[in-house]
Amino acid sequence: MRLSFVLNGKRKVMETDPDRRLLDLLRKDLHMTGTKEGCAEGECGACTVIINGEAVHSCLVLVCQLEGKEVLTIEGLEENGELSAIQRIFVEETAIQCGYCTTGMIMSAKALLMHNPNPTEKEIRSALSGNICRCSGYTQIIRAVKRAAAEGGC
Amino acid sequence: MRYVGKSYPIHDACQKASGRAVYAGDMELKGMLHAAVLFSSIPHGFVKKLDCSRALEYPGVVDVVHCFNTAEREYNRYQSQFNQALIYTERVFNSHVRFVGDRIGAVIAETEEAAREAVKLIRVEYEELPYSLNVFETLKGTIDNVHPSGAVFECTDMVTGTMPEEDGVTVDTVTDLSRINHICMETHVCVADYDQYSGELTIYSPNQTVYGIRTLIGDIFGMDYSKVRVIKTTMGGSFGGKQEWVLEPVAAAAAIRVKRPVKLVYNRSESIISTYGRSPMHFQSSFTFGRDGSLKGVDCDLLLDAGAYLGNSVNYARTVGHKLFRGYKYPYCHFHSRAVITNTIVSGAFRGWTSPEATIMFEHNMNMGARALNMDPVDIRLKNVMHPGDADPLGNIPIGNFRADEALRQGREHFFWDQRKKEIREFNEKNRRYKRGLGVALGAHVNGFYPSKTDYARVDMRLTETGSVQMNITLHDHGCGTVTAMQMIAAEALGIPMEMVSLGEGDTKYTPLDVGCFSSRTTYVQGQTVCLCAEKFKDRLKEDVSALTGLPVSELVVENNLVYGKHHPEVCYSWSRIADECQQKLKHEVFVSYEYVPDTNPGVAGAHFAMVEVDTFTGMTKILDYLAVHDIGQAINREMCVAQTQGAVIMGAGAALLEHVVTKENGCPMGSLKDYHLINCFEALDVRVELIEDGGTEGPYGAKSIGEVCHTPVTAAVVGAVNDALKSDMNQIPLTPDVICAYLDEREKKEREKEA
Repeated sequence: MRLSFVLNGKRKVMETDPDRRLLDLLRKDLHMTGTKEGCAEGECGACTVIINGEAVHSCLVLVCQLEGKEVLTIEGLEENGELSAIQRIFVEETAIQCGYCTTGMIMSAKALLMHNPNPTEKEIRSALSGNICRCSGYTQIIRAVKRAAAEGGC
Repeated sequence: MRYVGKSYPIHDACQKASGRAVYAGDMELKGMLHAAVLFSSIPHGFVKKLDCSRALEYPGVVDVVHCFNTAEREYNRYQSQFNQALIYTERVFNSHVRFVGDRIGAVIAETEEAAREAVKLIRVEYEELPYSLNVFETLKGTIDNVHPSGAVFECTDMVTGTMPEEDGVTVDTVTDLSRINHICMETHVCVADYDQYSGELTIYSPNQTVYGIRTLIGDIFGMDYSKVRVIKTTMGGSFGGKQEWVLEPVAAAAAIRVKRPVKLVYNRSESIISTYGRSPMHFQSSFTFGRDGSLKGVDCDLLLDAGAYLGNSVNYARTVGHKLFRGYKYPYCHFHSRAVITNTIVSGAFRGWTSPEATIMFEHNMNMGARALNMDPVDIRLKNVMHPGDADPLGNIPIGNFRADEALRQGREHFFWDQRKKEIREFNEKNRRYKRGLGVALGAHVNGFYPSKTDYARVDMRLTETGSVQMNITLHDHGCGTVTAMQMIAAEALGIPMEMVSLGEGDTKYTPLDVGCFSSRTTYVQGQTVCLCAEKFKDRLKEDVSALTGLPVSELVVENNLVYGKHHPEVCYSWSRIADECQQKLKHEVFVSYEYVPDTNPGVAGAHFAMVEVDTFTGMTKILDYLAVHDIGQAINREMCVAQTQGAVIMGAGAALLEHVVTKENGCPMGSLKDYHLINCFEALDVRVELIEDGGTEGPYGAKSIGEVCHTPVTAAVVGAVNDALKSDMNQIPLTPDVICAYLDEREKKEREKEA
């Protein structure tokens, strides 16, 4: 099929199979490997991207669902060649260890802050409950999201 | 100190935050093909016939490697050293399949999708054999023919000391641990590339020992070790799951066959089913205490479910016995263990390498002893804990500055143990549905291999012309900041800014021979090597400046990126100038290579405290508060130590309450995160961590290990708290709502029968 959508702010038109997963389109066809596969069944959140402002698991989205949509991936977050605020704060707050959950975690956090710039801790925990981190106890991640909210940046 | 004890992000945090970090699964090499594995669908039997014709016709398929056309040499996935004495039971592909998930073959294709589709087209004809899914079935003789070496392996029958003859109390308990998986967020991946003209095989793998893989791969394929290059890639978590070799032989076999790079990625299901997990264990134990609570004797029998192949299981079952002497002092112990083959997922290493498993058994007995003697659980531990000056009776190894006693006392105070005991008693009297309980557990661990296995480490340091130091060391960062920790130690010891020290990770072509990043040896052994190498490096700078200036070495001082004369301030060399003049005038590079052989292995302890609330109607358990107190000697990267400990608590609490890999009666395991539940962000609590830092070790700046010991007491502490809440004596992991409800139902039934 001919697919037309917006990827990280740029219009993209490409030939693809309608039943291809968005995750494969990103990783294999477009070589954008910042989005990770962790379970392929929507349980771990490593593949989270933002579509039309909502955090979604890209392993559960088929390409045919993308027509005309706006997709934001981790590769689209850097601003002027630098880490965006939320990315930088994740680094500074030691919220990153093995890093495999990090990009999905940041995308979920960003989607939350786009909707709710001043979330409570419970709202943060709820928004990130679909993103598994096996290294930490989430403390530094929650702290990073709180700080990103407080500094008004995502 | 300028760096040590402060907090820094992991070295590649920015790459990870931006999505630019490259994991093995993200790699793309020129001409790279993809492999997908064909797994056995039966628990035990023989592959009589394989028909690959339809698979080979599938568009994009290049070849199929399988049990009838690939290296038949047997090996042991746990092998990491040359000539290691191990029992070999496994092949790259097996025609005698021994579990659902056993590897039969692999399709190599232009894309992963084509490889996976083509796997479905291979026709397998099996001859099915009787199978066993648990150790008791195997002990009946059901699968005696599973391996030429049999199905039951005696591991150890060890008696230490003598049992004192005095009046006491004996508690008899049974402990059952279910199979758990590491669930590293990065699933298992390996990329292999074979250059037919140089005969060189290159393996890219997230792993804990590049040299271990080199050794095993060289042995399997009959290759000279110099022709096998292994490069450690960015690792998305290990927790013990990436220290035995599962994908590497498969990717190597495929690359050698097609003479092109081949990437093999296991999805989550394959990672759970066909790599390995922590072994199910069945303990029967008997602990005898004096009337004052002093532990007199331990008698323990362990049946370890090895799964289908012997990886580390014989060594693992033996090591459980070694871990019985790291925390407490007592006069007598008898430990007997057997590793038993079953037609299930292969067992292997898990964070703590038997320390958490031994602790779950041991601490439950301590709790039951305290209950029988009407003692406080903290008091009974304080009565028996080891102190500085004590020694591990196996090999008489001093445990050094071991602060378990202090950790227990500090935790009792900071967890408000005594006050909460009272509050909980009142809460439980008032509440019928919700019951609260407190648990404490002491976990102890090691710092390296000494003296049980060989241990040594080497670090090279070379000075660049711009005055920075390039370090060469065989590291394997699991994702917990090893590279940063070494950089901090080096900067501290050299007295230069952290950014002036650079280093990478393991690559057998360039980095020094090394025994691997496990057994909690990285900071203690490799970190100390960095410290000692830095001292030699500074000596070297002085020698070179002495040679350049004629001033005696004793007159020279190394400080702040300078070397200057104590009484001759006019002699002042920047490190950049030293590098330059050494090359131009002395005709050599400023280079030091230092090898360190540790001869200590102190104890390291964590005292953990948990408060839980159990809903007796649903069997759900909630952790209300948790404190981990650790005897760490000196934290190197502080926040990373805290974050690791908190992660370990969530992991160990998951093992206590939720996590297990279920195998159905037909031998099929459940390989999905829909079935394997983890504690997520919503359920996790903020774990409190306290570090006791008073050094006194042979580690860098007095440091000791943290990554494994912090996982050691967790499950035991949570289980202890549940048993305190319910006044129960369960020690089967996990204590899921089903298990708790069944226990309570049974107890109620018995009580009713008694009343009737």
